[in-house]
Amino acid sequence: MAVTMTAAVSEQTPAKSRALPSALWPWLLLLPAFLSLASVSFYPIVNGIYLSFTNRSLITQDNDFIGIANYVQLLSDPSFWNAWWHTIWFTLISTLLETMIGLAMALILCETFAGRGMIRAAMLVPWAMPTVVTSKMFGWLFDGQHGIINFILVHAGLIDLNVNWYGSPDTALTTIILADVWKTTPFMALLLLTGLQTVPKSLIEAARMDGARAWTIFWKIRLPLLMPTLLIAGLFRALDAFRVFDLVYVLTGGGPADSTETLSTLSYKVLFSTLQFGYGSAVSTAMFITEGLIAIGFCVFLIRQIRRTT
Amino acid sequence: MTDFKKTPAHSKRAGQTIMLDRRQLLLGAAGAAIGTATLGVASGLGIRPARAADRTEISFASASFFGKEGLGALVKAFNESQSRITVKFIELPPPSSSTEVYQGLVQQLARRNGTPDVFSQDVIWIAGFASAGWALPLDEYFPQDKRADYFPGTMAACTYGGKLTALPWFVDSGMFYYRKDLVEKHGGKMPETWADMATMAAEAQKTGDAKFGYLWQGKQAEVLVCDAVEIIASNGGSILSADGKSSVIGDDAAVAAIQFLYDTINKTRISPQNVLSWDEEPSRQPFTSGEAMFMRNWSYVYPIAQDPKASHVVDKVAVAPLPHFAGGKSSACLGGYQLGVNANSKKREAAIEFLTWMSSPETQTRLALNFGLAPSRPAIFQDAKLKAEQPFMASLQNVFTGATPRPITPQYAKVTLALQSSISNALVSGNVKAELQAAATQINKIVG
Repeated sequence: MAVTMTAAVSEQTPAKSRALPSALWPWLLLLPAFLSLASVSFYPIVNGIYLSFTNRSLITQDNDFIGIANYVQLLSDPSFWNAWWHTIWFTLISTLLETMIGLAMALILCETFAGRGMIRAAMLVPWAMPTVVTSKMFGWLFDGQHGIINFILVHAGLIDLNVNWYGSPDTALTTIILADVWKTTPFMALLLLTGLQTVPKSLIEAARMDGARAWTIFWKIRLPLLMPTLLIAGLFRALDAFRVFDLVYVLTGGGPADSTETLSTLSYKVLFSTLQFGYGSAVSTAMFITEGLIAIGFCVFLIRQIRRTT
Repeated sequence: MTDFKKTPAHSKRAGQTIMLDRRQLLLGAAGAAIGTATLGVASGLGIRPARAADRTEISFASASFFGKEGLGALVKAFNESQSRITVKFIELPPPSSSTEVYQGLVQQLARRNGTPDVFSQDVIWIAGFASAGWALPLDEYFPQDKRADYFPGTMAACTYGGKLTALPWFVDSGMFYYRKDLVEKHGGKMPETWADMATMAAEAQKTGDAKFGYLWQGKQAEVLVCDAVEIIASNGGSILSADGKSSVIGDDAAVAAIQFLYDTINKTRISPQNVLSWDEEPSRQPFTSGEAMFMRNWSYVYPIAQDPKASHVVDKVAVAPLPHFAGGKSSACLGGYQLGVNANSKKREAAIEFLTWMSSPETQTRLALNFGLAPSRPAIFQDAKLKAEQPFMASLQNVFTGATPRPITPQYAKVTLALQSSISNALVSGNVKAELQAAATQINKIVG
C-alpha cells in the first residue's frame, strides 16, 4: 500500500512540473518563426510608416518628427495624383484584359486535343521571361522608326504614318499595358485552368443530357463555380499590377511628359534619386494603403460570392 | 515481462545517444562553418597581421571605369610609385548605374567615419556633398594660380558657396557631330547658329541626303536636362539665377531655346518625333547608320562612328562645338567625374597627396590614353603622344572650353526631376512658356 502511494505521488509530481512548460512549448517553438518574420516583415513596415512622419533625408541630414506634414504635401502634389491615376488605370485595364484573355485560353486548354501538354508548357514561356527582357523586346517591337508593329500596320493600310508608340503621351501607357498583358496572361490562364479542372465533370454531363448548349453550360455552371478562383486570381494579379515598375523604368522612365509615371517609379525617384526618405516613405505608405483598399474590395466580393454558392 | 519493459527503455536511450551524436555533429558542423565564415570575412576585410606599418593606409571609392586597364591598376601604380601611402580601392558600380554609385557614396559619407578618404563624384553631386559638410574644402591646397590649369567650366562646377570642394578629374560634354560629306554638299560652311543649322538640315532632308536633319535626346531623363542646359546657355539664359536662390527658366532666353527644340519636331521638322523617347543610344544608332546629318551627343559616339563593323559613316564624321543663337555663345553641358576628400578623413595629408597625384598631368594623360577619358587640363591636349594615339580627343579642346555646369545646388536631385517633367511636358504640348514658368515656380520652392 505504501509502495502504491509513493508510486502514485511520484507519478503526479512529474506531471505537474511538466504542465507549465508544456503550455509554453508551442510558443517557444513558434518564437524563431515569429522573430524572423517580425525582423524581415513587420519591422520594415512599421519603420517605413514611422519614416513617413519624419523629414528624414540622407543628403540634408534632417531627421525630425514632423507629424502629418508629408501627407499634407502629398495630397496637394500633382505628380503624386498623376502617378496614382496612371497606376489605377494600368491595374484596372491590365487585370481586366488578362483575366478575360486568360479565361479564354484556359477554356481552350481545358479541352482534350493532340499536343495539349506541349502547348500548356509553351504557353508559360512569356511569363517565365525576365520582365526587363520583355521590356527591351517590346521596346524594339514598338520602335517608332524600325518597329515591326509600325511596319505591319503601315503595310496593312491601318495607319498612314509610323506611330511613336512609347514616345507619345497618347499611346505610351497603352503600349506598356499591352506588354504587361502579353507577359502575364499565361499566368492567369494557368490559375484559371486549375480552377476549371475542379468543376465536376458530372455536372457538365448532366447539363448536356438535359440539352444545355455550351454557352449555357459556361454561364450557368462553369463560371459560377469558377468565380472564387477567378476572384482570387484577379486579386493576385491586381496587387501585382499595382506595383508595376520594371516595364515603365526600362521603356519610358516615366515619360514622356509624366504620362507613364506610376507610384512605384515615383517612389523610387523620390526615395533613391533624391534620397528624401521621409517624403518617399509617405508615397510608399499611400501606395500600401491603396493596395489595402483594393484587396479589401476584392475580399468583400469574394466572401459574398462564397456565401452565395454555399 | 522485465525484458519486454526493458527493451523500449533501452532502445530509447539508444535513440537519445544517436540524437546526441547528431546534435554534436550539427554543432560541430555549424562551428566549423562559422569558423570558415569568420576567416573568410576577416581575410575579405583585409584584416591581416600588421604589415608595412610605416605606410599610411587610406581608401579611395570610385565608380569603376575600364579601358585598357582598370582603376585598380591605376591605384596600384600609385602605391608602387612611393613608399609612404597605401591606397585601398573601394570599387563602386560602373558609371552607367549612376544612381547606385550615388547611393553607395552617400551611405558611406553619411557615416562620417572617414571612409573613404578620397572619392570620385559625378559633377552634379558636388554641391550636395559640400553642403552636407562631407567634402573637405581644398582652397588652401589649391590656390588660385593652380586652378588656372583646368577648364574654367569644370572649376566653376567644383566650387560651391565660394569654396573649392572638388578637384577636376576627367571631363566629357555635349558636342555637335556632323557629316563632313553632307556639309560639303550643302554649302561647305559649318553652321554657327541654330537657325543656320536648321536651314541646312532641312535642305539636306529635302534633297533626300539625310532622313533626319538633327538628332538630340528628348527622353524624360537626365540627358534631357543636359540638352536643355546647353541650348538655354547658348541663348544667354540659364536655369538658376547667379546666386542660385531662384530660377530664371521662365525667362524669354530659356523659353526661346526650348521653343527651338519644340520646333525641330513640329515646325522645321528636322528631328523625328521619336527624339522624345530617345536617350543617347537610340539617337546614336540612326546617325552611325548614315541616316542623319547632325547630332548632339557625348564623346563616346566617335569611336563607334569610326568602327567599320558598327558604322556606315566611317571617316565621314567630325565634331564641332554646338551651335548658338544669334548673339549667344556656344555652350556644352559638362559631364565627367571629379575628385573629393572626405571632410572626416583622419589622414588628410595622405589623402591630398593621392588626390593631387590622381589629377596630375601624368595621371590624366594615362587616363586619356588607357581609359579614353578626356583630361580636365587644357595643356594635355597639346601632348604629342595624345595627338598621335587619340587624335579625336586631342581635337576636343575647343569643345570643352565652352562646357557649362548644370545648376549648382545641393537640391539638384529634386531640381532635375522637376526640370525633366516640365521640359518634357513643354516639348510634348508646345505650351513652352507656361510649362517653363510652372517649372520656375516649382524650382523656386525647392531652392528658395
